[in-house]
Amino acid sequence: MVSKLKRSDRRQFLKRAATGAGAVTTASLFPHVAFSANKTLTVGMNIPMTGDYAPWGLPGLYGCEIIANNINAAGGIEIGGETYDINVASYDHGYDTEKAIQGFKKLALEDEAKMVMMLGGSTVAACLPWAMRRKVLTTTLLPSDITPDSEYLIATCESHPLYNVTGVEWMAKTFPDVKTAAIVTNNDAEYGLQSAATYKAAFEVAGIEVVDTNLHGFDVTDFAPIVSSILAKNPDCVCMATSFYVTPIMEQLFHQGYQGKIISCTLDYYQEIIAKTSEEFVNGTIYQFPDFDDPALTEEGVTFPDPAGFDAAFRKDHPNDWSAVAWEYPAILLNWIENAKAAGSVETEDVMAAMKGNQQQFVFGGGNWWGSQLWGLDNALIGRWPVVVIENGRARIQEYGDVAAWLAANKDVLVKHMQELGLRTV
Amino acid sequence: MELLIQSIVNGFIQSGFYALAAVGLVLIFGVMGVVNFAHGELVMVGAYTVWLLHAQYGVPFLPTILIAILLVTAIGALMEQFLFRPMRGDPLGGLICSIGVLFILQVVATVVGGDGPSKQVPPPYEGTLVLWDFLRVPYQRLFAIGVAIAALGLLWYFLTRTRLGWALRAVSQDREAASLQGINSNRISMIAICVGAAMAGLAGALMAPLTNINPHMGHNVIITAFIVTIVGGVGSLSGAVIASVLYALFHTFVTTYFNGTVATISGLLIMVLVLIIRPTGIMGHRVSE
Repeated sequence: MVSKLKRSDRRQFLKRAATGAGAVTTASLFPHVAFSANKTLTVGMNIPMTGDYAPWGLPGLYGCEIIANNINAAGGIEIGGETYDINVASYDHGYDTEKAIQGFKKLALEDEAKMVMMLGGSTVAACLPWAMRRKVLTTTLLPSDITPDSEYLIATCESHPLYNVTGVEWMAKTFPDVKTAAIVTNNDAEYGLQSAATYKAAFEVAGIEVVDTNLHGFDVTDFAPIVSSILAKNPDCVCMATSFYVTPIMEQLFHQGYQGKIISCTLDYYQEIIAKTSEEFVNGTIYQFPDFDDPALTEEGVTFPDPAGFDAAFRKDHPNDWSAVAWEYPAILLNWIENAKAAGSVETEDVMAAMKGNQQQFVFGGGNWWGSQLWGLDNALIGRWPVVVIENGRARIQEYGDVAAWLAANKDVLVKHMQELGLRTV
Repeated sequence: MELLIQSIVNGFIQSGFYALAAVGLVLIFGVMGVVNFAHGELVMVGAYTVWLLHAQYGVPFLPTILIAILLVTAIGALMEQFLFRPMRGDPLGGLICSIGVLFILQVVATVVGGDGPSKQVPPPYEGTLVLWDFLRVPYQRLFAIGVAIAALGLLWYFLTRTRLGWALRAVSQDREAASLQGINSNRISMIAICVGAAMAGLAGALMAPLTNINPHMGHNVIITAFIVTIVGGVGSLSGAVIASVLYALFHTFVTTYFNGTVATISGLLIMVLVLIIRPTGIMGHRVSE
């Protein structure tokens, strides 16, 4: 009997130990979900996490995970009387349209995502018919994806490439001797040509003559001839509209002795560019995407909560992955949460009604719906946008430009250049 | 005039990379009869090795180049031993195997390097040579073209002045006749793929500080290598080198004076024209049945 009891105790002990170990392991795998009594609210990210476009997808997922973890650690969010933990479900479409459709359906149907964030371009266009039919709130970083029929497609953070006008405005004001510019960019209609048209319009408005527009494909392995060709036109300013190849172009500009101004849409991984050229060369480069430890982000009007804390958390976990989108998808998520709270609902129509019915707070301040003039629907949120310059090897905001004011005054110039490059306008 | 001279120099430097990548492809096809679709990925592995060891772990650049060559050579040897040799006499089988290797190497590179942006390698040789106040050539590019010329010179010496090189050429001309002369064609095939892979590894290692490194970079390399190989004459090493110089100069000039897209399309058109007008290429010979 004694021995039986002992055996039984031992079994009980082993059972309990195994159960406890299992619980601890599970809890450590899902630290913010395991013991939460909150409901789970899933948002989707249908983005490229591998391939050429991964730098404009994956860092955004890392950023959203930081935001979601912070919200969940603080007890979740209250929407319509329910408290929710945020769950970020993601799908890597590798910038492939078929995979994008598959990913969108998976996120919407299996994960029951209430909102799906995407990068933009052909992958969004592929998902749109299904997404709009099912009324899935979808976000893009490229408002040129918006069509008169895309009622539930919104661009609430990046309005690529409209904000580039602020960089040109600032340059023209700060460096009045810049009279000519050469544009180099990818020749795709989604990113490159949209940017080229915007820069051309901004240069025209600023009184800067465009002496060369060099459109290159995605198969370039050597940028020496492209840069030689550009520099032969003696531009006061070289403009990298939206190039996936900023680093090799900057490298060639450095080696071929270019000493004029450089303006670019993005300057992702600029520390690598400095390593391949020099800090002195990269200093003074104008672009549009700040680091989030920038003191200017504490100014009134900026709505992103604790930018420096976010920057530190991101760089601690992902020290080499910060890119233009690292804060953009989080900003979209935060904007959606605010509107869901205001609506008291997570359903698409309610959130959209709150978005359109209430004054929106854009991430850098301001915020008006715009877009019917170009794409047929006012579904792009346009606000202030920072002009960033590399100073002493660090990205630093110089001022916030007013995109809406520029568009109000110069929309026709932009339309003219878009049409010249064969881009869609209403 | 300044732009013209700069373009000629740009073109010659680029031709070194094209030639290194193409001669390996030609050698493997000539000796083994296999179109190695994974050749661009061998170049990519060479570049990744430099990124990993030099840029990430601080191993000096020159030893890293040697390690890249050895690693890619070893991959080539494994491909020959376990894939191409069992498929001997079945060109389609070899081609399909090489496509499989292509995907495997891309996935391995993604696992090793992680997702995200293209990898960058800071140039070990900084600075720029400036001649006559206008001609500018980065020292890194000078180093690369110097090493490429030396490697191609060594290959030429090996093929034309050594018994092994003669044997290799003999097998590429007629495998059966070479076997009748007592040449071990399996051994020669192994040497051919090792030499070809070593050239690819060297090309990747030299390109690493000058280009965006990513798992898919081999795609552009293989297209260029095919153009050069076909224009030069399939199976002709000297044709591949001459075509590399001509194609690099052509591509550079069209990119400089028109644009890169026109250059790429024109290059492919030239390949098609060569196939129609002179299928043997610049230096290839018609083989009688």
